[in-house]
Amino acid sequence: MSRWVSLGLASGVKTTKFPKAADAAASKAAAAIDLNVQGLTPQLAIDAAAVCPTDAITVEGDSTNGALRFDMGQCVLCGRCIRKAPTAFGYRYKPEVAVKERRALRVEVTWKEGRIAGPGHADEPHSLSPEADELRRQAHRIFGRSLHLRHVDAGSCNGCESELQLLTSPYYDLARLGVFFTPTPRHADGLLVTGVVTRQMHQALMDTYEAMPEPKLVIAAGVCAIGGGCFAGGPTTHGPLDSILPVVVYVPGCPPTPSALIHGLLLATSKVEERYRAGGSAGGA
Amino acid sequence: MSGLAELAQVVGLQYRSGASGELWADCPQAEFSANAKELASRALLSDLFASVGEDGRSLTAVFSTIGDSAWLVLRTQLPDDHFDSLTSAVHAASWYEREIAEMYGIHPDGHPAPQPLRLHDWPHRYHPMRDELSLMKSLPSAHGDRVPKVRGQGVFQLPLGPVRSGPQESAEFLFNSGGEDLVMVSPRFGYKMRLVERLAEGRSVDEALILAERMAGISTYANALAFVQAAERAAGIEIDDETNRARSLLNELERLHHHFGYLGRVADSTGLTVAAAQYAALKEEVLRVNAGLTGHRYLRGLLALGGLSETLSETGHADMVVALPHWEKRSRRLEALLEDTATFIDRLDSTAVLAPDYAAQHNLLGPIGRSTGADRDCRRDHPYAGYKSLPFEVLVKSQGDALARVRIVLFEVGQSLRIVKQVLEQWPKTEPAASPASKGGSALGWAEAPGGESLHFVQLDDAGNVVRWRARPPALVNWHPYAHACASGNNLTDYPVIEASFGISHAEFDR
Repeated sequence: MSRWVSLGLASGVKTTKFPKAADAAASKAAAAIDLNVQGLTPQLAIDAAAVCPTDAITVEGDSTNGALRFDMGQCVLCGRCIRKAPTAFGYRYKPEVAVKERRALRVEVTWKEGRIAGPGHADEPHSLSPEADELRRQAHRIFGRSLHLRHVDAGSCNGCESELQLLTSPYYDLARLGVFFTPTPRHADGLLVTGVVTRQMHQALMDTYEAMPEPKLVIAAGVCAIGGGCFAGGPTTHGPLDSILPVVVYVPGCPPTPSALIHGLLLATSKVEERYRAGGSAGGA
Repeated sequence: MSGLAELAQVVGLQYRSGASGELWADCPQAEFSANAKELASRALLSDLFASVGEDGRSLTAVFSTIGDSAWLVLRTQLPDDHFDSLTSAVHAASWYEREIAEMYGIHPDGHPAPQPLRLHDWPHRYHPMRDELSLMKSLPSAHGDRVPKVRGQGVFQLPLGPVRSGPQESAEFLFNSGGEDLVMVSPRFGYKMRLVERLAEGRSVDEALILAERMAGISTYANALAFVQAAERAAGIEIDDETNRARSLLNELERLHHHFGYLGRVADSTGLTVAAAQYAALKEEVLRVNAGLTGHRYLRGLLALGGLSETLSETGHADMVVALPHWEKRSRRLEALLEDTATFIDRLDSTAVLAPDYAAQHNLLGPIGRSTGADRDCRRDHPYAGYKSLPFEVLVKSQGDALARVRIVLFEVGQSLRIVKQVLEQWPKTEPAASPASKGGSALGWAEAPGGESLHFVQLDDAGNVVRWRARPPALVNWHPYAHACASGNNLTDYPVIEASFGISHAEFDR
């Protein structure tokens, strides 16, 4: 047994400095796809929408007058749009992709007479319930020091779980940030949901949520939980998650990288501002 | 066992050879059951599935033998929703037939236990692979599902799941226990059913690939590779050697991160936290190399019809050259330490035993099959991608316990590293795939996923869209003897070790 201890000690500290400092080695995988409006033309928008397999990119109208809607909450990062329209779409490697509002993942670009008029967030009503808004304001005071999470796989491919399991591994060590996984919903402050909500998991998900004490946060991790991803509209899916539970943070990705998940969890407790202030410049949150 | 062509002649089947060496044989429905039983007694039943389309209902059985790289595909048209069950003669057919019954409403007459595999609360008259999708959008719950129970003094039932204790996949296991011993374990599946194959119908191969990649996260690449190879064979698309070599490399990188993750979970289940942390670190390092090489940690978005969508990154290549000796050294060190740790070996030794003669009835795959004496590895038996020119060894054991499973995985890590090294020495220069013209056809595709052989059947229409996609991932086969292994004289406290030592994906099973 002593040899295991010495092996462990000899391995040294592998833990990332993220989020205090950016970690290039952990950010080789793209965390999201960005739309670059300067490089967009109506024709590129139409071409990109045609190859997008999950309808994350949709186009209305034609090349003279029309609009493109890009939804990061549906984007599985397959890269087809980038290959088709490399000037308009590109990978984002910085892991700060989590957002507090569903509409922050959506971008709309319109064009008139063949000229791009400029970007704007899609015009839609605030998607959150008043309870979720209130919780968000209170989150830092209540959960700022420690957050205990109950994870529920509501019908994922197991990619998200694979990344979640790595959060407690030496490279990420979630406990250093005051975030822990707990086996029982009775001890949980937050519910981390992955996967499309399948018909079969719907009840178990609701029961878990009900069993958690108030106040409680719900975090949607991965595009399946956010918008359904490639399984959207299937006959066995109930999602999106925010139509069922009040979601306070959305972490896009397929699957979201461990760094993106860390950012999302800190965002949920509003600790993210504090962490970034303390650490200087880790990148634009 | 003899070659499949001779076997077909012995059984008296007319066959024609397909593009990639499959033997296609059709027979009348009246003879199907007898022919399939005859073939299954001399060869391995690799798959059995139904299709319902414009050309009616059909039933397809796929056979293989060791020592013959071909597959024998036996098909029949069904005039109605019934066929004679093979299960009483061919145990491996049991779950395939239950799946056909629940998904297609085609009944295996004479099946000893035809209850649904996945659909616990589903109204029985709806069949997810067959009925209009819009019909099934808001079905009421039905409680027709009967779970087997053990009765007796002091025997109680203890459910585990579907929501598990850590960040794990959803699955339910019902324990029947008399206190300490596991009398019976009934896994209940279907919590993660997304109907991946059904959603792919009518889509182009390129779009369906997105679904194939997301059937199961930690075997993303192997399942997508099996699917895309089936589509390429169906459409008559040839793949060049360099691309094939790159495809094999990625297949092994996925096996590496899967196996490191698996070993970490087994170590964790026996309380070896240092080993668990070390393996988790190795897994993370492989995922980072994957990301550097392809842009995605789980190798998604890289496969394309006709090749790879991007060239492998040169900086990723350089990272891998640096990382490989470290992985070799550390995995050897860890293996030696594990073998020398009595608390680890004792927990695994004779835990959850699958006796070879029992296991043989299930045609088990991958490390689980190879731990029970099944000498099968489709990288060697049915060479695909670049494996013809990449030598490696296959280890087979016959103890069938958790220790044998873990030792096979430990050995495979070494072999995967060996294959990766060979590819590094002669780095493939690939070009991004030009989208090739697709045409109609049907074909099989296969790949050795980390959990075992993944066998896919794809039928394309003339426009190159998917008419029928059948995925038979290894999880579908390997869950079958699980309940039996759990009940082979184990305690409740053995359960985490048992589950970790099988390490089978639920997403891959439920699809």
